[in-house]
Amino acid sequence: MTLIRCDKLTRVYQGGVEEIRPLDELDLAIDRGQFVALMGPSGSGKTTLLNLLAGIDRPTSGRLVIDDQSIGELSRNELAAWRADHVGYVFQLYNLVPVLNAYENVELPLLLKPMSQRERHERVSAALEVVGIADRHAHYPRQLSGGQEQRVAIARAIVTEPTLLLADEPTGDLDKASATAVMELLKRLNQEQGRTIVMVTHDTTTAEYADLLLHLEKGRLLEKEEAST
Amino acid sequence: MMLRTIPLVLKQITRSPIRSGLTVGGIAIAMFLFCFVEAMRDGVGEATNASAEDATLIVYRQNRYCPFTSKLPQYYGDRIEEIEGVTSAVPVQITVTNCRASLDVVTFRGVPVGELEDVLEPGWRIADGSLAEWRTRGDGALIGEAMANRRGIGVGDRFSAAGITVYVAAILESDAAQDRNVSYVQLPFLQETLKTGGTGGVVTQFSVRVDDPLVMEEVARAIDSEFRYDEHPTSTSSEKAFVGRAARDIIEIVGFATWLGWGALVTVFALVANAIVLAMRDRIRDHAVLQTLGFTGGLIGFMVVFEGAVLGIVGGGIGTLAAWGIARVGHFSMTMGGTNIEISSNPMLLVLGIALAVALGILAGVVPAWRVSRREIAHSFRTV
Repeated sequence: MTLIRCDKLTRVYQGGVEEIRPLDELDLAIDRGQFVALMGPSGSGKTTLLNLLAGIDRPTSGRLVIDDQSIGELSRNELAAWRADHVGYVFQLYNLVPVLNAYENVELPLLLKPMSQRERHERVSAALEVVGIADRHAHYPRQLSGGQEQRVAIARAIVTEPTLLLADEPTGDLDKASATAVMELLKRLNQEQGRTIVMVTHDTTTAEYADLLLHLEKGRLLEKEEAST
Repeated sequence: MMLRTIPLVLKQITRSPIRSGLTVGGIAIAMFLFCFVEAMRDGVGEATNASAEDATLIVYRQNRYCPFTSKLPQYYGDRIEEIEGVTSAVPVQITVTNCRASLDVVTFRGVPVGELEDVLEPGWRIADGSLAEWRTRGDGALIGEAMANRRGIGVGDRFSAAGITVYVAAILESDAAQDRNVSYVQLPFLQETLKTGGTGGVVTQFSVRVDDPLVMEEVARAIDSEFRYDEHPTSTSSEKAFVGRAARDIIEIVGFATWLGWGALVTVFALVANAIVLAMRDRIRDHAVLQTLGFTGGLIGFMVVFEGAVLGIVGGGIGTLAAWGIARVGHFSMTMGGTNIEISSNPMLLVLGIALAVALGILAGVVPAWRVSRREIAHSFRTV
């Protein structure tokens, strides 16, 4: 069942006098429950596509439909509400709020939801438990290792139970052991919770955790292959 | 939803203690200065702004501006009382420890024993001691409550100033600043002590009550006309106008200080704006993350404005409370030429100070909030 559909999706930036076209009439479909790795050289449009899927950037032309919602038709505030309901985003550099501890960082997206403090507490505790960092809930980002920070970031991304989990090079700043742990966690979330995950990566080892590899080049889909695992 | 973000804003403030502390400290100092200036202005306004109920004239020696040089024959009182519209004319001898502007000047007012009530502003009360003792003891003094508090004087104490030693017979409570800050003694005692000839001699001024506030100016002109060709011509004005003239230097200083007060408000604005702009610069990534999580630009803008308001209310609250508390506990009075202007401790100052600090805090946050709310997420991530 298709969750994401891109029809001639194009994004154009104006870089001075030069026109930059990181996505150029991209056609793509991703099914619900798939774990997708976006690969390709720098400038191939991976991150631009991820930003469009996350609703933090808007297409210049073409159509992007996620879960039957045409993203380009939403107003600024509607898009924010849509993000809160449907998207979990994991950044390469974690992007935790430094003055908040792990628990409070994970709680952030729930502040937008009409729920009691008790319910929030249960949801945050459960998310921290899932990523295996519950014992570090009172630690601030500066007191955590890179791998632990990324686990907190994943907990923050899944705490709202989003339709779509997006990850921009989630292991790009981690050592090998931490990277493996993070990827196993994402794989588990995909397999056990049925989460649809779209991940940008340069690393073929990391990409092996996905069940669909999409190779982009110059803003177009170059190749689509099923992963070996 | 906005309410749920308030704890988040408070955490951002309290968990950046150095930045927040410096900003709050700066605001507190500026608001302290502003509120103290306002307290002085308030006191000047209370002492010099005429009201419809004012019915007291002060008759002073013409072209004299200090109690040491204003000398009027005491018998002028009988002639003043014959003027139409005059209810009473009480001779008053004034001696001060310092003729210049000061925050703690002791002013003695000598009045005839039987005419004390005519000199006191209506609404006075005896807080402690006995008026009967004041009448029967030649060296008895009726001390205004502000002066008593400032000097730590109680009933039964002996108290010396300007070479005059008195026995504190009673403490006077009054709504009038002039009565709260002086020491009333018997006129003969003060004249004897100053060796100016005893009863029937020379006094500093006359306190004249008129029967109708509407005829004050007319009566004043009549008094000055009465003594125009005498050896000691007079200058008569309403009590508020007299205070305004006598304390002109203080009023000018307070007028100048008003500019300092405005400067303090500008400082508050600049401090909050600077703190918020720097915080926004540091938090470009954090705000982009919040937007990615689904926070709207408006909600983040609210958080920025609320942060400014909190900094304003905390800093403004500390500074205003400190200024108000010092004015209230210190019972300061600016005295010049024997007239007193109290530094006000009106609770409205608290309300004004805190309200202004909050308003400036909000105002300082509006532009950064608007800019933050318009930022594009992808652009924010690219710039950090």
